[in-house]
Amino acid sequence: MRAFEYFTATDSRHAVALLAEHAPARVLAGGTDLLADLKSSPSHAPKTVVDISRASDMRKIELNERGLCIGALVTHTEIMDSKLIAGLFPALIDAAHTIGAVQTRNLGTLAGNLVTAVPSVDSGPTLVALDAQVVIAGVNGNRQIALAEFFVGPRKTALQPDELLVEIVIPKENLDKPAHFLKFGLRKGQALALVNAASSLRIDAKKNTCRDVRIVLGAVAPTVVRAHSAEKFLEGRAATPENFAEAGRRAVDDVRPISDMRASAEYRKDLVAVLAKRTLEGACALARASKQKGVRK
Amino acid sequence: MTDVTLKINGETRSASVPPETTLLKMLRENFNLTGAKLGCDVGDCGACTVIVDGMSVNSCLMLAGQLDGREVLTIEGLATHDRLHPIQKCYEDCGSLQCGFCGPGMIMSSKALLDTNPNPSVAQIRDALAGNLCRCTGYTKMIEAVQESAKVLRGTPARRAAKANG
Amino acid sequence: MAQKSNKQSKRMDTPMSEKSRPVRSKKSVGIGLPLEGSGTLRLPAVAKQVPFPIEALAPKVRQQTPAVGQRATRPDGRLHGLGQTKYIDDISFPGMLYCKIKRAGISSALIKKIDTSEALAMPGVMAIITGKDIPVNSYGPSIKDQPVLADDRVFHAGDGVAAVAAITEQIAQEALEKIKVEYEPMPAVYDPFEAMKDSAHKVHAPASNIYATKLIKKGDVEKGFRESYRIFEDTFSTQMVEHVPLEPHCSIAAWDANGRLTIHSTLGRITLGRTDMARTLQLPLSRIRMVATIVGGNFGGKNEITQEPALAVLSKITGRPVKGTFTRVEEFIATTTRHPINMHYKTGVSKDGRILARKVRLVLDGGAYCSWSETTLGKACILSPGPYNIEHVHAEAFVVYTNKTMTGAMRGFGAPQVCFAYESHMDDIAEALNIDPLEIRLRNAFHEGSSSPTGQVLHSVVVKDSLLQAAERFGWKEIR
Repeated sequence: MRAFEYFTATDSRHAVALLAEHAPARVLAGGTDLLADLKSSPSHAPKTVVDISRASDMRKIELNERGLCIGALVTHTEIMDSKLIAGLFPALIDAAHTIGAVQTRNLGTLAGNLVTAVPSVDSGPTLVALDAQVVIAGVNGNRQIALAEFFVGPRKTALQPDELLVEIVIPKENLDKPAHFLKFGLRKGQALALVNAASSLRIDAKKNTCRDVRIVLGAVAPTVVRAHSAEKFLEGRAATPENFAEAGRRAVDDVRPISDMRASAEYRKDLVAVLAKRTLEGACALARASKQKGVRK
Repeated sequence: MTDVTLKINGETRSASVPPETTLLKMLRENFNLTGAKLGCDVGDCGACTVIVDGMSVNSCLMLAGQLDGREVLTIEGLATHDRLHPIQKCYEDCGSLQCGFCGPGMIMSSKALLDTNPNPSVAQIRDALAGNLCRCTGYTKMIEAVQESAKVLRGTPARRAAKANG
Repeated sequence: MAQKSNKQSKRMDTPMSEKSRPVRSKKSVGIGLPLEGSGTLRLPAVAKQVPFPIEALAPKVRQQTPAVGQRATRPDGRLHGLGQTKYIDDISFPGMLYCKIKRAGISSALIKKIDTSEALAMPGVMAIITGKDIPVNSYGPSIKDQPVLADDRVFHAGDGVAAVAAITEQIAQEALEKIKVEYEPMPAVYDPFEAMKDSAHKVHAPASNIYATKLIKKGDVEKGFRESYRIFEDTFSTQMVEHVPLEPHCSIAAWDANGRLTIHSTLGRITLGRTDMARTLQLPLSRIRMVATIVGGNFGGKNEITQEPALAVLSKITGRPVKGTFTRVEEFIATTTRHPINMHYKTGVSKDGRILARKVRLVLDGGAYCSWSETTLGKACILSPGPYNIEHVHAEAFVVYTNKTMTGAMRGFGAPQVCFAYESHMDDIAEALNIDPLEIRLRNAFHEGSSSPTGQVLHSVVVKDSLLQAAERFGWKEIR
């Protein structure tokens, strides 16, 4: 790697001050993406690296009045080990488990994964399906935007050069919302997604109809994308395998996959239909498994 | 330059290195611990795997400065002067390694697994070793070796006593 | 988790018995470094002798015969497990420099100019060489068509055009970017069938792109086809494959005071390598010492020299040992790969599935340089009819230059590719004739005394026994 100036941030506020002073700088949290990038593409060499990996804050997973709050330094392994997340959102654990391998999950952070903003970002679909928000810190204080708006384009986020992603929040009203995630890659580990998908919905117990449907797909558009026409179709309709399959087929109209060395666009479209259907079925099964879950109050 | 003081295999060591130095480079060049290997340098092959504060990591993906005040265990830290670590013994007895290049990383990942899961299933072993590539063996004997190691580490009474004394 | 590793670490604090423990000063823990702010010094506990001494390193001599069937101990297994095996990249010499090679990045071009002045001016850069600095700039296991560093032409994107020796790898890597090369792009050909046409760009002009051929004729295939109940025709193709040895190619060159060169290398075939070194450097063999050690995976990709002559020249110029380690990217673009082969099969069979005639045409993508292509061509051709008794055979093979990564030896030298073809073909034939795939093979397979396509009479033939034993173990009858 090329030489760079290196600063260690003691906490998020210090990190933001360092970013403001030395922008444009790269942020080092888990390093699994940053270091690989700097070695593969010397032209990406930054003048400055701000190391936040030992900051004292941004490490918690907690439940409070805002919802489920995950700090920016929480690693994929910590998510997988979290009993709190296991009880609320097993889909987040499923997603974390599909990322890299043990070594990368021990270092890599959820926030870092989101910041890569690659079209196939594995932690993206589930969080978008749950209407997650991200908290961004800057010199003038914090701001909060929807994760769906945080992804601006391939490898582009809404972060300004002097800003830091500090927290991911799943809003309180969605804490009881079932979600399911699936990833399809050429291997079970150490593989980019050909397609990944997450669905989330509520089921009206009396009418057996779907409400608040979210179907989110990755690796088939410049950013993670919601299958709006599929969602619209399913909203208010009966929660049946036939309707889930039809929603899956309609999701294909909402995506624009490319052909690359991993798969053709046609194959990806096939995967979209199947994964959308299966994640809907999975979310539905979760809804039915728990009496409390999925019943809107 | 970045100054870093860390514990490596139980000993406190220090180095002063350019900030872009990875943990892997520091281990191999500053401390002559060449067990961890450079296979790809981007965290795909796992040949550089070491254990930091109990977690298996790709040492090529950590900057030296991040290790200040932390503890690293490398392959060189497993055996004593008169005894192989049970994992090393089982790898040897099962004939798990051929060219040996992936060996240190594979053994460290095995150790990290067995430290937290004393009775792993085959699926769990595969998952734990998924970040370590091997081009020679086809992995089957490594899975055997981990299963054997797990048995040894769970221990017969004689071995449990030896562990307690050692 | 942290606690457990602490426990392990504590044991490691006591590597020596009480008798031989050195006297430690009160101020230090570890290798002579003061521990600031420490109160009472925690001295490591004395190690108890544990009743599990490490067995003698030398494996027991195997007295029993036959050796086959006896359990063997890998002699290097002990060091591998300890992490003590020294591969070439684990070896260092005092004053050693590091070499990095600039890769062309363009698949076919004339080199008009190479300007190394800005790179040479970098602090820490000790020398830069190009193709003209290599005394005889060509080598190869058979056809000597591969330059150590490009002369005035680039034949594939991974060609090395300049080599830098610097005091650190980082400086050498950065110096590559400062080397300015002016290219005049030339036509290129990537598809072997295109390359076979007369009108195609000649990769190594004026030589034809078809750089080796082989033909095996036995009997009269057309007669065989006329007598066949049915004829099957199909084309199979395989892709380029890279060995991906976990250990990248690595070499160290150093000269002694008497003008003798020592090369430590991951190279497998060091006798051949020594000959290539003698040729490229114009040195007598007696002045060249090749040292090979445990290789971290070869699979055929480390069978010829790559950067060694360049390292030797850099070492001579700088007066210091020079080490070069390929990056993983270089492993893909600048080392040999497995030949992609296009395989056309035409097979005539009797009604009961016996093969009467087989005509094969193989086109091997031979990449930018010959490397081990002649051997691969030969094997692929001889093995292409498969291990089956066929009276009439016509197998023709061509290997063709393209402006792509060179293709060379990789586990099988052409055998895996044709095996994929003739076995897939056999399955198709079996299905069409409604004959069990195992049965059709048993009807055709070599037996004691069969002759190969080249007329060699075969002994110790176990094809049928193996198939039958395998079928029993797989539960073939049950599956069917």
